[in-house]
Amino acid sequence: METRTRRDFLKTGAAGAAAASVLGFPHVARAQTKLTFGLWDHWVPGANDVLKGIVTDWGKGNRVDITIDFITSIGNKLQLTGAAESRAGAGHDIIAFSTWDGTFYKDKLEPMSDVAEALIKKYGPFNENATYLSKQDGRWVTLPSPIGSHTYPHETRMDYFKQHAGVDVQDIFPADVKKRDKKKVDGWDWKAFLAVAKKVNAAGFPIGASIAENTDSNDWLGPLFASHGSFPMDNKGNITIDSPATLEVIEYLRELTQHMPKDIYGWDDASNNRWLISGKGSTIFNPPSAWAVAKRDQPAVAAQVWHHDVPRGPKGRYRGSLPFTWGIWKFSKEKKVAKDLLLFLSDRETQWKLITASQGYDFPQIMSFQDHPVWKEIGPPVGGQYNYPVRGDEKLIVAGWPAKPEFGAQVYSKWLLPTMVGKVTSGGTKPQDAVKWAAGELEGYKRG
Amino acid sequence: MRLGPNGTVLDAAAPARALPARARWRRRLRSRAAIGLLMCLPLVALIGGLVAYPFFYSIYLSMLNKRETAFIGLDNFRFLMTRDVFWQVVQTSFVFTGLAVFWKAVLGFTLALVIHTVPTGGQRIWRGLSLIPWVMPLALSSLGWWWIYEPTHSALNWLLVLIGISPKPWLSDPYWAKVAVILVNVWYGTPFFMITYLAGLKSIPAELFESSAIDGASGLQRLRHITLPMLKSIIAITMLFSTIVTLATFDIVRVLTRGGPRQSTHMFGTYAFELGIASGDVPLGAAVSLFMFPILAVSAFFILRGIRRSTV
Amino acid sequence: MIRTKRARRALTLLVCYGVIAGFVVFFLFPPYWMAITSFKTNQEIESLEGIPLIIQHGATLRHYRDLFAKTDFLLYFMNSVLVTVPVVFFSMVISVLAAYALSRLGFAGAGVIGTGVFLVYLVPDSLLFIPLFKIIGALGLLNSKWSLVLVYPTLIVPFCTWLLIGYFASIPKELDEAALVDGAGHLQMLVLIFLPVAVPGLIAATIFAFTVSWSGFLYPLAFIFSSGEQVLTTGTVTSLIKGDVYHWGGLMAGALLASLPPVLLYVFLMDYYISGLTAGSTKG
Repeated sequence: METRTRRDFLKTGAAGAAAASVLGFPHVARAQTKLTFGLWDHWVPGANDVLKGIVTDWGKGNRVDITIDFITSIGNKLQLTGAAESRAGAGHDIIAFSTWDGTFYKDKLEPMSDVAEALIKKYGPFNENATYLSKQDGRWVTLPSPIGSHTYPHETRMDYFKQHAGVDVQDIFPADVKKRDKKKVDGWDWKAFLAVAKKVNAAGFPIGASIAENTDSNDWLGPLFASHGSFPMDNKGNITIDSPATLEVIEYLRELTQHMPKDIYGWDDASNNRWLISGKGSTIFNPPSAWAVAKRDQPAVAAQVWHHDVPRGPKGRYRGSLPFTWGIWKFSKEKKVAKDLLLFLSDRETQWKLITASQGYDFPQIMSFQDHPVWKEIGPPVGGQYNYPVRGDEKLIVAGWPAKPEFGAQVYSKWLLPTMVGKVTSGGTKPQDAVKWAAGELEGYKRG
Repeated sequence: MRLGPNGTVLDAAAPARALPARARWRRRLRSRAAIGLLMCLPLVALIGGLVAYPFFYSIYLSMLNKRETAFIGLDNFRFLMTRDVFWQVVQTSFVFTGLAVFWKAVLGFTLALVIHTVPTGGQRIWRGLSLIPWVMPLALSSLGWWWIYEPTHSALNWLLVLIGISPKPWLSDPYWAKVAVILVNVWYGTPFFMITYLAGLKSIPAELFESSAIDGASGLQRLRHITLPMLKSIIAITMLFSTIVTLATFDIVRVLTRGGPRQSTHMFGTYAFELGIASGDVPLGAAVSLFMFPILAVSAFFILRGIRRSTV
Repeated sequence: MIRTKRARRALTLLVCYGVIAGFVVFFLFPPYWMAITSFKTNQEIESLEGIPLIIQHGATLRHYRDLFAKTDFLLYFMNSVLVTVPVVFFSMVISVLAAYALSRLGFAGAGVIGTGVFLVYLVPDSLLFIPLFKIIGALGLLNSKWSLVLVYPTLIVPFCTWLLIGYFASIPKELDEAALVDGAGHLQMLVLIFLPVAVPGLIAATIFAFTVSWSGFLYPLAFIFSSGEQVLTTGTVTSLIKGDVYHWGGLMAGALLASLPPVLLYVFLMDYYISGLTAGSTKG
């Protein structure tokens, strides 16, 4: 009977998840169900509470007793929790993963295809990057989650750019996609970026982006290499890093880093935020978290911050993306209830509430949800976050793409790209030797 | 009911035929060996179950493949030998341990000597203040150091600029990051050296110094001919113990650099954590951490020899 | 002659105090910087103006208030207490029993056990955490603070046993012979005669046990994940850091408060602490 109810719901797909669940279980016959949910600990103040409220209300309406654990991603806690639970065969019913992590456990996770396909039918597709990370061997092993998912656009001090480099990012990337001038947008490429970097540095306000062991580094270097056609591995398992394109980007970075602060090799995920907030930096690649903190502590800085598209390369324009996903363990005894909850959380109305609660930080993976008004309205400056969702020709990727997940995940988690680049730009290694080193590392990733 | 000599209950109503056996049992219990073993049992169980067994289990783990499904002998060790990063870890571990222990010993000795020289009344307060770094939980004080080194707001760089030295890329340059982690280790460990050396200094009979003073020996001569020889064994033992603890360093590196930049500050412990826990390759992580053992065993050999010598 | 001698003594003292002052500044700068930061407003922490070493724009207790009102700090504190109390208790019981046996009952296996205790130093926590991760997992204790109660004694018992052996060995043998003649058992003797005499040693060992348990970082980092089970060290280092924004004021406030119990204990019991610390080296 349970499965029939599920199928019925998925077929109609219309009556909210809550209703379906209630319909499936007559009140009298149903005992209180217990569900545990391991979630990413959100940094935006209040976001956790809103989510908790939404989930608890749903639980009350459906006679489900839900426990939420907020697990921080600092120190790999969230990652370690997933690893430990898969090993122990016990733990939360639903657990959140970031980027590649869900792919490790594809055989230990309950397939999500029914939920994902129902959502696609109702709201249209997930973005390609989310699909790539969640859909393994033809089935959805995890469900893309909006909570904590973010991308890495430019977060720019528009006054510095205008004053010291003569570039008006508000003009190139206005808060209305229809007003974009294609020529100006196409002109924003890595060459133009280098020219700006030189000028703002000369004026004493360098650009800042880390080349170190952290996700921020992956999320601007991955796209930079990709936009020149350089990828560590292809999707068949061939090592493709030793290419002219790779050397070209390394040479480019050798020049660019001359105009960046020397500390970038020791930065963590928070350093670029502080860099911008302190007023020293003119641009960083980051979700709007630096802006949000500046709004609280240094409002004058925040009012000058504009989010916009990253530079284009000869082979396209790529923006870094760090999506979160949800997985349901096969060992869970409440798979159906868990799926009902995730369906409800993926509902447009719920997701919009969550996006609002995160002040626009959470980036929806279902493409049609990008029309949320928050990014048009939030400010100051009003419209500063308009370009946080992808409005133009950017393609969202995760560093390591398009390799097979078991290898791509290692490119990401072992910091292959920042290490390779840093060896040259900070360590003085010859570019060719650094590329050889990276190829050797990639060979090591194949160890079973 | 009455109490026997050992607090055991002597029950008059016990069946007669059981008496000889019980008496024998009691005698056995009262024998020193039995009681001694019984009292050591919790200790033996603890160390056997949670130190010895995991150690051997670790050797077994290090010989499994990544998924822990097949026995692959020494392949993990062979694989590590081919990795640049691993050799970097070996190098960092030795450099870190060598330099940190050396500086802790030198600074600890200097401090002990100067505290020993000032009037006894004030020694207590200086000794007390100096021990604070050793008392604070290291993970938490490392967090404070992290903030001292933080690139944009670095208090240390601010001070350097103040005295006319250019700011240093703490934590972002492999060289300076090593300096940074060693500095924290020296900060944390110097008090321990100071306190053991100070205890050693206090145990040197004052007459030795007095007679040498009459002979007209200078301060440096006294240091060389009396103090150092008298403290030789304490200095050696403290340094070797510190070698063990320093080689096993985890907290400082994990909190300050996480092994970066470019894996240049990883030690055996943090690299094993990165591989075994964070990347889920338990066997490879076990293999890395096992490399510590032979190094520690050699140190132990010298410690034991040192202790034996000094007690003879 | 006397004057030059006195002058030389004065000069020596001056140099000594100079060196000591340098060391004290070095030792106390980090806690000072942490304290200063914890009382600054966010604006002042993030600003690059002025002198960072002093509070220029008014001190605030906000970070401390937020620590208790808005974070799980108190929960971590309770967890640390819940772990530390049984760890100290069990460690002391195990150490006292073993130290008595090893120092007084010269039985056949004593030497082997003594050497075994020493060899534990050769397998530090950074070597054992990987197999222990698997063992704790098999016991179903992963992500539980009680796993720490199991593993922390291994870090404490060897040193405490060693320390107490030293104290017990200094108790004159005539005392226990007299007691044995009176018909006392070994347990009675341990409790009635040894423990009272060895009080300073027991205090030193207890402080050591407390400090190790309170400061432990690697094991909770490897074995515990969810916020509710976190202890102070890992809770402060991981959970108080939010996303890619660090609230340095709050972090430093948390780190300082979490460091306080061992520091306070030490301030009040410094002499025991030091006697424990140096027991091994002076007897060696």
